[in-house]
Amino acid sequence: MFAENGTELGTVAVKRDWEPLYEFTRLHFLRRGELALDGDGGASVLPVWDGSVGEPYCRGYRMEIAQPGRRPVALEFPNRHFRDFARTVASAFVEERRLAEGERFTYLVVAQQAPLEPRDDGGLQIKSIASRTLIREGSLDGFLARATTHDAIDQGNLPVFVAAEVLEQARSQTRCQEGTETGGILIGSLWHDARSCEIFAEITAQIPAEHTAGTAVKLTFTPQTWAAADAALRLRGRGETYLGYWHSHPVRAWCKAKNCTLESQRVCRLARDFFSADDEAVMRAAFPRAWCVGIVANDTAFADVTFSMFGNLEGTMQARGFYILGEGSNGT
Amino acid sequence: MGKTGTAAEIELEISDVSGQKVFSVANAPVANTVGELIQEVLGKMGLPRQDSGGAPLSYQARLEREGRHLHASERIGDALESRDRLTLQPNIDAGLA
Repeated sequence: MFAENGTELGTVAVKRDWEPLYEFTRLHFLRRGELALDGDGGASVLPVWDGSVGEPYCRGYRMEIAQPGRRPVALEFPNRHFRDFARTVASAFVEERRLAEGERFTYLVVAQQAPLEPRDDGGLQIKSIASRTLIREGSLDGFLARATTHDAIDQGNLPVFVAAEVLEQARSQTRCQEGTETGGILIGSLWHDARSCEIFAEITAQIPAEHTAGTAVKLTFTPQTWAAADAALRLRGRGETYLGYWHSHPVRAWCKAKNCTLESQRVCRLARDFFSADDEAVMRAAFPRAWCVGIVANDTAFADVTFSMFGNLEGTMQARGFYILGEGSNGT
Repeated sequence: MGKTGTAAEIELEISDVSGQKVFSVANAPVANTVGELIQEVLGKMGLPRQDSGGAPLSYQARLEREGRHLHASERIGDALESRDRLTLQPNIDAGLA
């Protein structure tokens, strides 16, 4: 990292959880029919060298997924993915007085050969096997014809359809638990459209999360929560799979505690499209596949309950649009 | 290299909450505890060991055959049979942090 005048501030090893980016890349190629659902043979993060100054300077990096018997697939990403990490490092440099408060800084990304990992002959022999995730065949156009949009749809995102009834139940549950976080597990189906080769998700129902502990600022999912959801899913017997979770943000309670004015609440970043690091951690631990989404029910003092959806975009959870289906959809 | 099918080791199937990441373990040592097994497989399954604040995440293994959560201190050889299916279920917070 460098100060505005070009002085070198220091070099810091990047700490990053690559798993969400791997999942994003995996879904990217699944959606294009270039990777089988259970066909990946391991992933690598590789540097993309800067064309002018060359190794070890990077202009980006790529996530490469090997496929047994086929050419690997790879997706390139830019250096801006390290911007948040650079900001964190800059904050530490400010505390250490290496950088002045508010001073601009720049950074370069360099890559070095990772040390070879020792052979693991004594540990567990563990390998990924075919999951029981079912992908059904259906027409995307058929779904689109029956759907309305919620928030701006980015055509690059996996299409996600949500039954209107799911949102109504979430709204009702949020109102009943006003002032306390509540939530549920999203279930439904993954679909494959043979004509476009596209994969899309349909959230058909929500299972209210039981055995949770909710406060105004936190909702704890326990092992008993997941076990109860499993039991409900099996009881339904419709071949559905997990597609994420929803939970409420009782913004009105947060604002009340801080005596925020209604005007400030309307422009508060917490009032809409806010997905915390904790919220993201639940996705990471329970619903890591990139087709899974998180929905937040925003309970504010100035409007009815609204909904924001978040999905894995280039390895981070970001707000995204979705489609709402009326009652009676059967996906055919 | 461990041997599959010996009395000292058993084969298991372990999945995440969603059931969409499933792994086979060929050589789970029967003398080890369930807690040791969980700690060893987490990284290999790509599941996080820590929450967003860096605190250790707690997982319980649910044994599908019996429909119960296993105690971390239970011995694999006492609690499990070959080809049992386990689901790793975390205790985790969504929230403002």
